[in-house]
Amino acid sequence: MLIILSALFATALLCPLLFRVLKRNAFYVVAVVPAMGFIWLLTKLPAVLASDQSLASGAPNAPPSISIDWIPGLNIGLNFRMDTLSATILLLILGVGALVLFYCARYFKNDDPQIGGFAAKMVAFAGAMTGLVTADDVIVMFIFWEITSVLSYLLIGFSQALITARRSAMTALIITTFGGLVMLAGILMLGASAGSYQLSEILAASGQLVELGASTDVAVALIIVGALSKSALVPFHFWLPGAMAAPTPVSAYLHAAAMVKAGVYLIARLAPGFAETSLWVPMTVGIGLATMLIGGFRALKQYDLKLILAFGTVSQLGFIIAIFGLGTPDAAFAALALTLAHGLFKATLFLSVGIIDHNTGTRDIRKLTGLRRAMPILTTAAGIAAASMAGLPLLLGFVAKEAVYESALHLDAAWGPFALAAMVLGAALTMAYSLRFFFGAFGVKKYKVDPLACKPPTLIFLTPLLVLSTLTLVFGLFPYPVELLSKHWSEAQGGAPDMHLAAFAGFNAALGLSAISVGVGLFFYWIRRRTDTGAPLRRMVTSAEELYRMSVNVLDMAAIWITGRTQRGSLSFYLGVILSVVLILPLGIALAVETPWPSNWVVADHPAQIIIGAIIIAGCVISIAAPKRFMAVLMVSVTGYGMVAIFALQGAPDLALTQLLVETIVLVSFVLALRALPKRLWVGLTRIKWGRALLAIALAVMVVYIAIAMMASREQAPISLQWPELAYYEGFGKNIVNVALVDMRVWDTFGEITVLAAAATGVASLIFAGRGFGRRVRAHQVAPGSIDSGSEAMGATAEKEVELRIARRFAVSSNQDWLMAGNTLVAERRSIIFEVVTRLMFHTVLIMSVYTLLAGHNTPGGGFAGGLIAGLALTIRYLAGGRIELSESMRIAPGMLIGGGIALAGLSGIMPLFAGDEIFTTYAWEFWLPVFGEHKFVTSTIFDIGVYLVVLGLVQDVLRSLGSEIDLLSEGRSPIEQHDTIQASQTGVGR
Amino acid sequence: MNFLDLAPLAVVLPIFGAGAAFLVRRRIKLQRLITIGILCVTLVLEAGMLAAVWGGESYAVHIGGWQSPWGISLMVDGFSAFMLLISTVVSLAVLFYATSQGLADGDEPGPVSVFHPAYLILLAGVSNAFLAADLFNLYVGFEILLTASYVLLTLGATAERIRAGTTYVVVSVVSSVIFLMGIAMTYAATGTVNMADLAVKLPQLDTGPQLILHVLLLIAFGIKAAVFPLSLWLPDSYPTAPAPVTAVFAGLLTKVGVYAIVRTETLLFPGGAVNAGLLVVAALTMVIGILGAIAQTDFKRMLSFTLTSHIGYLIFGVAVGGELAIAATIYYVGHHIIVQTSLFMVAGLIERRAGSANVTRLGSLAKLSPALSLLFFIPAINLGGIPPFSGFLGKFGLLHAAAQDADALTWVVIGAGLLTSLLTLLAIIRVWARMFWRRAADAEIPNPELVDEAAKVADQTAAGGAQAPHLGLKLARELEAAALPWGMRYATGSLVVAGIALTVFAGPIFEFCQRVAAQLIAHEPYINAILNY
Repeated sequence: MLIILSALFATALLCPLLFRVLKRNAFYVVAVVPAMGFIWLLTKLPAVLASDQSLASGAPNAPPSISIDWIPGLNIGLNFRMDTLSATILLLILGVGALVLFYCARYFKNDDPQIGGFAAKMVAFAGAMTGLVTADDVIVMFIFWEITSVLSYLLIGFSQALITARRSAMTALIITTFGGLVMLAGILMLGASAGSYQLSEILAASGQLVELGASTDVAVALIIVGALSKSALVPFHFWLPGAMAAPTPVSAYLHAAAMVKAGVYLIARLAPGFAETSLWVPMTVGIGLATMLIGGFRALKQYDLKLILAFGTVSQLGFIIAIFGLGTPDAAFAALALTLAHGLFKATLFLSVGIIDHNTGTRDIRKLTGLRRAMPILTTAAGIAAASMAGLPLLLGFVAKEAVYESALHLDAAWGPFALAAMVLGAALTMAYSLRFFFGAFGVKKYKVDPLACKPPTLIFLTPLLVLSTLTLVFGLFPYPVELLSKHWSEAQGGAPDMHLAAFAGFNAALGLSAISVGVGLFFYWIRRRTDTGAPLRRMVTSAEELYRMSVNVLDMAAIWITGRTQRGSLSFYLGVILSVVLILPLGIALAVETPWPSNWVVADHPAQIIIGAIIIAGCVISIAAPKRFMAVLMVSVTGYGMVAIFALQGAPDLALTQLLVETIVLVSFVLALRALPKRLWVGLTRIKWGRALLAIALAVMVVYIAIAMMASREQAPISLQWPELAYYEGFGKNIVNVALVDMRVWDTFGEITVLAAAATGVASLIFAGRGFGRRVRAHQVAPGSIDSGSEAMGATAEKEVELRIARRFAVSSNQDWLMAGNTLVAERRSIIFEVVTRLMFHTVLIMSVYTLLAGHNTPGGGFAGGLIAGLALTIRYLAGGRIELSESMRIAPGMLIGGGIALAGLSGIMPLFAGDEIFTTYAWEFWLPVFGEHKFVTSTIFDIGVYLVVLGLVQDVLRSLGSEIDLLSEGRSPIEQHDTIQASQTGVGR
Repeated sequence: MNFLDLAPLAVVLPIFGAGAAFLVRRRIKLQRLITIGILCVTLVLEAGMLAAVWGGESYAVHIGGWQSPWGISLMVDGFSAFMLLISTVVSLAVLFYATSQGLADGDEPGPVSVFHPAYLILLAGVSNAFLAADLFNLYVGFEILLTASYVLLTLGATAERIRAGTTYVVVSVVSSVIFLMGIAMTYAATGTVNMADLAVKLPQLDTGPQLILHVLLLIAFGIKAAVFPLSLWLPDSYPTAPAPVTAVFAGLLTKVGVYAIVRTETLLFPGGAVNAGLLVVAALTMVIGILGAIAQTDFKRMLSFTLTSHIGYLIFGVAVGGELAIAATIYYVGHHIIVQTSLFMVAGLIERRAGSANVTRLGSLAKLSPALSLLFFIPAINLGGIPPFSGFLGKFGLLHAAAQDADALTWVVIGAGLLTSLLTLLAIIRVWARMFWRRAADAEIPNPELVDEAAKVADQTAAGGAQAPHLGLKLARELEAAALPWGMRYATGSLVVAGIALTVFAGPIFEFCQRVAAQLIAHEPYINAILNY
């Protein structure tokens, strides 16, 4: 089995290559593969027929089976089992498959570049069907089931440029997948109850499962929905006529012989076990017969030969499913024969339509006339098939239908007679549309028809039809081979061994019913011809198809409506939703479940805390209400400095120092960035803002409440109590905070400096957007007094005039360069005091920063604080001397500092690995230095130096982006232009 | 020393690489070489790690030799190693894709040189989050990846990206604040942030505080994982970024959130106190997300919606709980990372090939771009849950797990899951039909260039006639090769193949996921490894 399966899929992969070489004749090569499979299956048939279907796989004399583990955790195995039902349908699939591929070789033209892909899909499809009918694992079956849906989609959409083809393909896919997923739900339910996904095991346990009642009923009903959708039964039938947009070989194969038989197969497979479930009969027999009637009726209304056949197929599939649905061994016997008969005649008919379409260019029965004379062989072959479909004697269709009547006559259910009546009526309709098809295609029209250019088909094109119609005839006369299969399948379900198929079984009730249906069918056909105006009939009821379209439209509208409501594109809406969730969920819990509450309250450890708290709150409120950005930023930093005070009061000098420095740098960056933004903020307390305020306050209260409750519920001592000891004895430092940062929790710090690096990159990337950083500008390259960013903001009052004049004189007269690039600024930007102070302080502050870095392990400080201090020194240089001063004072690019810092920190972490220690292990060496005395060097200091460099790099980067670059922008020239002029002036000057 | 002691290198190496990339800022070729080299080494390391814990081992690395709960430990077990490996595979593929794109476009110095270090930092953050065995360190991991993601999202600083970036940054910062608050509250209540220690101490709390902490952390992770209604920001932020950036974001970032949820739900808050709520949330995430996808015409935006929608499946798995469901969740995470990334990469290819990823402007791509068609179709139907691809297998695993002893609510959510699967297929197939099958000239807003190219290919086909019907195809291939550098195609292709590998090797992979799930649920292995019991 696996060999056929893999051969088919492998062939599919080879197809493009084959067709490149052989063009359309490659179809002959490809057709060999399923043909070989067919022959192989014939040789296996005796073994299958000799086996006992009811045995579990693996038992002696059980049907041939294979099982390979795939996903044992989900109980999915590649288990295949070949019993009579599988073998019979597989014969049809491989046989018809081979013939259809053979037929394709003449159906397609050589100049169609798509045929390679087409053939690949057809062969893959044969493979998928093979897998579907032989899989014993219901999930594997489902997998193949869905693969057939997708391949069918691709094949229906063959004429991809036509909207009808695309639409029909999609409808078919969505409907069958819908059914498939419903079925999957059923499979899950059934699998959960049975504890297995093996078809044979589920069927073996069907007795107990049916006794479970409702759950099994529902599960089986869901599975039936899948079968109905696949086999195009009402109300899913409409996809099949639409699928006729596919090339005719596809219709012949997928939509007549193979894919639509998947639903039939599933019903046939489950009938022996689950026909007793409560929804089985209404859903299979009821819907099946209703489909038979509706399909037959609608077939009579069509003018397109393919559509007549399509509705005919719908009708016949309903019929077959209804018969399998009866669930008796007799019915199984008859239905299997009927399935074979249908496959043979329907494939023939589709293929003949293909030839007609191919050779005349139309399928419209109003335009076709006189084909009987032009194509006698085709007429004969199609005639045999149509007669078989109509149920005329001596043909397989008739034989099978007799058996069906026979089994229906023996039904002992109360609804039996009604079902029988529906069948006879359905058969009459079948008779009628068979006639309509045959005479529509081959008859001579009484009314005037334009003559058709029509060439007779070649014999090789006709061969597949001849084979199929011969089989219809031969099996009609000698039905023994078919009987053998049907009987074996029926016996497995306890069928009597004396059932027979016969070309003529004597004058019995079944024959009478056949005669009635033929007669009534002739009558229907006669009426239809009399009333046929050539115009399509109007539909009387809303069709299922319209319902489908409507629901897709409703879905689209709902999608747009909901998406419009949720995806507002408004940040404040999104935040509102998030914060509401943060508010509501804990609030709900607090209301529903008891939370601890502290028994003793300490309002404040220190009276100053209350004052600081009040200041922080005031800062918050003012920053929200501030009319100008600058004010708002300032007030935000008030809260930050408030925290500094609180840390200091709590005895955390390290935190206070760091927070102070951070707050300052942040304030500077803010102020620098603010220069590029409008000054005023939009304010005003509207209704919406009150809503936000309410949310914010509620949230704040909530957070405070949670904090209190959480602290009240602590019972264990915190791990930080051991930290002082650990820091001193194992981290070699007296400053717990620093030891924590560079040793105990060094991993966090390492991560955080990466964050800083990323942030620096981000700031630069945003400000320098797409422009590149340019080269460093030296002071001597810029004319003195030429840089004037921001001076126009001073305004031009008389008082200012005077100031300006003084300032200018100072600038000109001063030949004292306190700073390296101070004189590049325009006079009004310069301040002698600031320049002198900067000059005096810069190096002192730098030394202090290095001290802070190195001493941090034992006293407040560390790399982070040190880096910030150095950064502040740089900030002062920039503020005093402008952007050229900045680039003069720091000749290394920030990227180098940051990169170097990170690399150093990383290296300090990796080194211990070479000593066989854990990453980031710290070592300490004690040594003696002249002057400095006894010292201890802790390796974590190296890491701290990395931190220092990264922080300094970040500050430099911020100054360069938010400072220098915005200066350039405000100097009125575009930075690119500036960049160019600098480069021009730099010609000859090295980097 | 154990080989697994090298685990922190999964974080250190990319960071080191980022540092090196900064140092050679102006030399783009060297940067590229460093980045690719570092990722390759990391990949080998992580493959070794996964192999070492494949059998179900848990190994804790104590940074600097500091014992938990005082120092920081990293956890190498099946779950973290699996996530590490898959995220590096994906980022390496995206890196090749981006590199190839950059090579084709001619890299400029300046902001593009931001890409490599930021990309490496992003990866370091992701890896750190997977390895973290400390709640605060998990936060640090998040911060690293978020900060890097801010940079990558606003690359080039166009107005559109700044706008999207604003939404993204603000929401992310808020989520970080919520997370930090959760950590602070956790410390307030237990006095520790070490996860193994917490696993011991949290159950000792009363139900009320436990629930509040549980919910706070879930909300924080839920924003990152994009769980409805905390997911609204995502489709507004992701699609505007450059294609490789969106691809790697879509693959990795939300999954870090999911990872954190799975970790905390199994380790810190076992017992499923909020599972019923999670079930409802999962259903809403799936259905509302997919409805959003149906309403889109821009393919990248649509993918952002399928991304959030399918996060619902993962939450579903968590909510069902139990070994099978968690195993299926882990498998589905792997699938989701690979399929979403490959589809975003395909979206980038489409943009490049046809000038836009908006469905209303495209057509004829099946004829014009054969390789692209295949690269689109396979992951697309994989996403649509068509078997035998991993999307189906994962979904089946989840549904199968849920169906065991399911109550009515669970059945409703199973139904929602199936509906989502169908609607995903609908959304994706519509895109296929319109972008690939329809004639370019039939597009709502036809792209003249495409129409022209389609006509040329048709002419070639006609000119070739019966003798050489492949001339048109040949021309199409040439046009395609000219527009899409081979590196981009092969990088995408390799991820598509990785997606197929998830199907082919589903057996061993799923068994592994089951071992991992058993380990997660047992949670003694974790605690013992970290606290050295």
